[in-house]
Amino acid sequence: MQLSPLHEQHVSAGARLVGFGGWQMPLQFTGIVAEHLAVRAAAGLFDVSHLGKVRVRGPGAAEFVNACLTNDLARIGPGRAQYTLCCTDGGGVVDDLIAYLRSDDEVFLVPNAANAGDVARRLQAAAPPGLAVVDEHRDHAVLAVQGPRSPGVLAAAGLPSGFGYMSFVDAMWRGRPVTVCRSGYTGEHGYEVLPRWEDAASMWDALLAAGAPAGLVPCGLGARDTLRTEMGYPLHGQDLSVSVTPVQAGLGWAVGWDKERFWGRAALRAEKSAGPARRLWGLRAGDRAVPRPHMGVRTTSAGPAGSAAHEATGETVGEVTSGTFSPTLRAGIGLALLAATIGAGADVTVDVRGRPAAMTVVRPPFVPRSPR
Amino acid sequence: MEFPEGLRYSREHEWARLSGERVRVGITSYAQDTLGDIVFVMLPKLGEEVTAGQPLGEVESTKSVSDVFAPVSGAIVARNETVEGSPELINSDPYGDGWLVEIQINDPSALDDLLDARGYADHVAAQP
Repeated sequence: MQLSPLHEQHVSAGARLVGFGGWQMPLQFTGIVAEHLAVRAAAGLFDVSHLGKVRVRGPGAAEFVNACLTNDLARIGPGRAQYTLCCTDGGGVVDDLIAYLRSDDEVFLVPNAANAGDVARRLQAAAPPGLAVVDEHRDHAVLAVQGPRSPGVLAAAGLPSGFGYMSFVDAMWRGRPVTVCRSGYTGEHGYEVLPRWEDAASMWDALLAAGAPAGLVPCGLGARDTLRTEMGYPLHGQDLSVSVTPVQAGLGWAVGWDKERFWGRAALRAEKSAGPARRLWGLRAGDRAVPRPHMGVRTTSAGPAGSAAHEATGETVGEVTSGTFSPTLRAGIGLALLAATIGAGADVTVDVRGRPAAMTVVRPPFVPRSPR
Repeated sequence: MEFPEGLRYSREHEWARLSGERVRVGITSYAQDTLGDIVFVMLPKLGEEVTAGQPLGEVESTKSVSDVFAPVSGAIVARNETVEGSPELINSDPYGDGWLVEIQINDPSALDDLLDARGYADHVAAQP
């Protein structure tokens, strides 16, 4: 199990640690609900240094990346970042990642921890001579400052803030290089700060101290998961995998359909024109139940509640892929891959440990997004 | 972590407090801390017969769901309806306002199979 450069900080703060993607990371510091609500109302600080970092450099680096990953780098210019996908030839999602376009000759990628090596290997295998694909996983830390008060927290810590959504700037902090991007995974206004690995601890301490008057608290991966689920943001390994395509996951907006080349292009274009057999939807629990991954989803039978017809088993139409308790809504929410026959507003039944629970199919987000 | 003297404890992390012929039951401080923020609780109906070692209900946290096992056999004679509406009481006051149910027992020796505070503390210390 690999350790974050902030491991000592987390242990001395009394964080509960959890294994995630091969890394030991904080699950929670005080409690998931309190941390979640702090991010929605004020600000939270997350250590997400487990995320991968891969640099592609050399003549035509951006053109090469654009011929591999799904989204179209031509939609953005240098200094902007983009959500994109690495697919198999069959269209399955190897990983979802952020691409920082630095110049025509340099792209910096932030894949998920568990998939960073796979993404790097696929790019290395495809790269023409003269292009370097370098795994920099342990060269940079990633500290996410998320929440409506995050601009003030960065300013108080001496970091740049206030620039446009999905833009990034390079800066010097206490004489050391850092990159700050207006991005995140919570649906709030937020920043992802990338110092050098060895500078992570002093920056973590500085951000905590600068943010404390604004109500900033350290947050773990537990709150990160409840926050992203409220937004309907998919998590690779649960909602996305090599057996799920971007078309099924509702991520067609992150595909450059007009590009001549990207991995999975033929399969994805065919699926898009035929229509996907299943789609990722939101589920909202009507009663006191929490959907959890792998629970089966059935159509709800006709008949008044409590009647024999109502209790009868409906047809299985899919499976829950993510689910949790929403601290904002105080209700169970989840994401589920459901047959194409099911759409928003449908009433379904989820098997919650042998008990049928009534849920409604909804289009995420569950809570309004305000990342801009 | 606090394990009050005078209570009896199950290896599944419930506590039991005898008063007369009733045993009040809840989950221990260790159990609530391990679960994290508790968001739902499901309790048995009044009059339901429960069996020692068998599930009597569930507590669900943001992270996971866990059965609550009956530490003794008997009939449910009281259920804490306050905790159904405010399950966070189980986190903040597991031995007080966060109690779950009361079970009527015929024979006080039913508690003899449970651990005392010291025995339970040793049991918790041996958890992975």
